[in-house]
Amino acid sequence: MSKRQLSMVMDLNKCIGCQTCTVACKTQWTNRNGREYMYWNNVETYPGTGYPKNWMELGGGFDEAGDLQPGVIPNLEADYGVPWDYNYDNLAAGEIMTPNVEPTWGPNWDEDAGAGVFPQDNYFFYLPRICNHCTNPGCLSACPRDAIFKRDEDGVVLVDLDRCQGYRYCIAGCPYKKIYFNPKISKSEKCILCFPRIEQGLPPACAQQCVGRIRFVGFLDDEESQVHKLVHKHKVALGLRPDYGTQPNVYYIPPTEAPPKFDAEGRIIEGSNRVPVEELEKLFGPSVHDAIKTLKAAMKERKETGKSELMDLLISYQHSEMFRLDNNYYHEVAKEKGEHLLAPVDERYVKGKYTSKLTHFKAAH
Amino acid sequence: MNTLVKSITAISAVTASLMASNVEAVKVSDDVTKLNPKSAIWSNAKFADVMLYPQTTMKMNDKKANAKNANNKAKKAQVAAVYDSKNITLMVKWPDATINKQEGFNSKSYDMTKTDTYGDGFAVQFASHFEDATKLPYVGMGSDGREVVVYLQKYVGRIFEPNGNGDVEMQVNRKQTNYFNDQLVAYDERVNQLGHKDYQRAFVSAGVRSMTEIKDQTAEYNMRLMYGTDGWIGTITRPLTDAYTDLNKGAFPMVIAAWDGSKMNRDGLKSLSSWFSVDLEESGNESLVSELNSSPKGDIANGKQVAADNCAACHQFPENDFAPYTMAPGMFNIGGYATTGYLKESIIDPNAVVVPGYNRNAHRNTPWYELDNGKRISTMPAFDWLDEQSMTDLIAYLKTLKAGE
Repeated sequence: MSKRQLSMVMDLNKCIGCQTCTVACKTQWTNRNGREYMYWNNVETYPGTGYPKNWMELGGGFDEAGDLQPGVIPNLEADYGVPWDYNYDNLAAGEIMTPNVEPTWGPNWDEDAGAGVFPQDNYFFYLPRICNHCTNPGCLSACPRDAIFKRDEDGVVLVDLDRCQGYRYCIAGCPYKKIYFNPKISKSEKCILCFPRIEQGLPPACAQQCVGRIRFVGFLDDEESQVHKLVHKHKVALGLRPDYGTQPNVYYIPPTEAPPKFDAEGRIIEGSNRVPVEELEKLFGPSVHDAIKTLKAAMKERKETGKSELMDLLISYQHSEMFRLDNNYYHEVAKEKGEHLLAPVDERYVKGKYTSKLTHFKAAH
Repeated sequence: MNTLVKSITAISAVTASLMASNVEAVKVSDDVTKLNPKSAIWSNAKFADVMLYPQTTMKMNDKKANAKNANNKAKKAQVAAVYDSKNITLMVKWPDATINKQEGFNSKSYDMTKTDTYGDGFAVQFASHFEDATKLPYVGMGSDGREVVVYLQKYVGRIFEPNGNGDVEMQVNRKQTNYFNDQLVAYDERVNQLGHKDYQRAFVSAGVRSMTEIKDQTAEYNMRLMYGTDGWIGTITRPLTDAYTDLNKGAFPMVIAAWDGSKMNRDGLKSLSSWFSVDLEESGNESLVSELNSSPKGDIANGKQVAADNCAACHQFPENDFAPYTMAPGMFNIGGYATTGYLKESIIDPNAVVVPGYNRNAHRNTPWYELDNGKRISTMPAFDWLDEQSMTDLIAYLKTLKAGE
C-alpha cells in the first residue's frame, strides 16, 4: 500500500461513449512503437464482450483467501484485434480503399449492441476503463522479476522497463487485462495515469479531454478532493468488480438514469428501469444498492429544495472543479528524494545492489 | 546467435564421461573465444550427460501454459567444456522437437506480430562463490548472500529495447513522420538498424526475484545458438575469471536450464539441472567434484515415511499432494535439481536458503517467509532434531523424487 493514492471517479450517467478519452490516450501514448494494438483507455458497451474479448472470464485477481488466481493471456488476432490501416496514399492513383489486414475483430466490434429486446427492454451503457492502479495489484503480485512497482507518493502502478523481461505473467494476473505485452520491445506496458502530466498539476489526458465531463481526479486521502467526497463521504462511487480482490482505485458512479421499459403494446411501464440492478451488482458489488438510493435521494432533494451538495459535486459547473491535483506536492517529493521530477525509478534496485553500476534512463530533459 | 543454421552434418560423436554429471573440461591451445557450435574442436571435447527436470517448486499463474506443462518429463542434455589460458567455452546440447521463436516486430504491419509466442532458449548459471560445496547458492538463481551470474540466450525475433540513447524520434509510427517515398524507406532502414536480433543477456542474481541485468559492459561473454538434428546446440564463452566469479580453481559448479517455446516456457516454466561439476585439468577443488557426484545411501522406504510424517502437511509430494500448493515449495522434482548438501542444510536450518521466488503478496495467508529487518525468515521450523538415520533416509528418499525421462 502506498502512502497516498491518486484516484479517478467516472460518472457513468454522463458517459456518452464518444471515445474522446480513447483517442486522447491513444495519441498521447499508444499510437506508436509496438503499442498500436493497446488501449490503455477504452470505452466498451456493457453488456458486451468488452476489450479484450470477454476479459471478465480470463482469470487473474485473487480469491477470498487472497491467493492469486491463474489467468489466460489474450491472443492478438482473436481477443484484442489486429490494428488495420488503409491505403490512403494510393487512393489518388485510383486504387480502391482496402485495409492492409482483413479486420476480423477489434475493440467495440459489438458497440451499442447491448442486450434485451427492442423496443421493450433493450439496454446498454458505456463502461470506460483504464488501469485501476489497484491497492493490491494482480499484475504486481504475478511478476516474477519485481519489475512492477506502486509509487509510494501517489500509488500509481508502473512497470520498470529495466527489469521487465517480457514473461507476461502480469497479463495473466491482472483480472482487468489492463496490462499489455509490447511485442516490439518485448516488455509489458500499461496506463501510467499520465504521471508526467499529474506531476505538473494537469489531469490525465483522458480526463482533460472528456467531453461528457465524467471524470474526477484527486487524492483519496485529501478530504477536500472530489474523489474523497464521492468515494468516502457520499459512498456513491464504487470500484469495478471488487470481487477480484485487487482493491481498484478507479471508481464508478453506477448508471441510475435509464428510460423505462415498454410493454408489448409499446406503452411505458411506469417505475421500471431498463438497466437490471443485478448487472450493476455484478459489476460494482452489493454496495451498489445503497449508492443508487443515495443518488436517487440527492436528485429528489435537489428537485424539492433546489439544493444538494452531491448533485453540485456531480454536475461540476466548471471543468476545473473536477480535479484536485497538486504539483507542489510532487516537487516536494522530488526534492526530498533528491531526484529529478519526471524520472521515476524503482528504488528497491536503484542503488545497484546486485551490479556494480546500473543504467537507468535519463530524465527527458 | 547471429543466424539460425540448420546443421546439415551430424553432431560429432559423443564421448560420454565415465562419471555422470561431471564435465571434464579440455584445455586447448587455440583461442576458445573464436569457437562456434560447428568448430572441429568439439570432436575432441568430452561430453557428459546432464539431466534437466521440470521446475515444479513454484507454480506459475498462466493457466494455458500450466496445462501444457503438467506432465513434463526429464530431458537429457549433454555438456562439454574447452578452455584456454584466459577463457572457457561450454557447449550445451538439449533435445527439443520443434524450433520456436518469439516473434519480433514487423514495423510495417501487425500481420506477423504476435503477443503470445515464446522462444526456445537456454541459460547457464555460475556461482559467485563456491568454496563450500555443501553451501552452494540456491539452484533457482541464487539466494540471499549467495549470488550467481546467469547467461541467457533465447530465440527471439528482432526487438527494439528502450535504450536511453534519446532516439525517441525513431520510435514513432512511420505514418506519423514527415517522410515520403525514399526518405521513408531510409527512415525504415534506420529504425531497423536499432533492433536487436540477438537476444543474449547476462544477469547477477541473489534469488529469482532479484535477477538484475548487467548493462554496464562489465560482463564479457558471447553465446551462440543453433538448431541441430533434433535439438538445440548452444555455446557460451566467458573469461575464466571476471568481476562476477573466478572459475579457475580446478573445478567449479554450474547449472543449466532450457526453455521450450512450444510449451509457452519462460521464466519458471523451464527444465533445469542440479548443480553439477566442471573439472578443469589443473588440480584443485576435488571436494566439490566428490560432493556433487556423491549419492546419499539410505532406506528409501523409511525416508518416505519420515517425509509423510514430518513434511507432507506443508509440502506436496508425488503421492502425498493434499497440502495446498501455496503452502511450501513443491517436492515433485526436488531430487532432480537439489543437491544433497542443499537438502540437508534446508532441513536443519530452513533460514539458510529461503526460496526467494515466492511472492508473498500473491498468497498472503501462506507466506513462505517473514521479513525481519529485510532478512527472510522461513516459516518452516528447523528439523535439526531428526536423528541421523532418519535424516539420511529422508534425503535418500528426496533424491528419488524426479520425473522420468
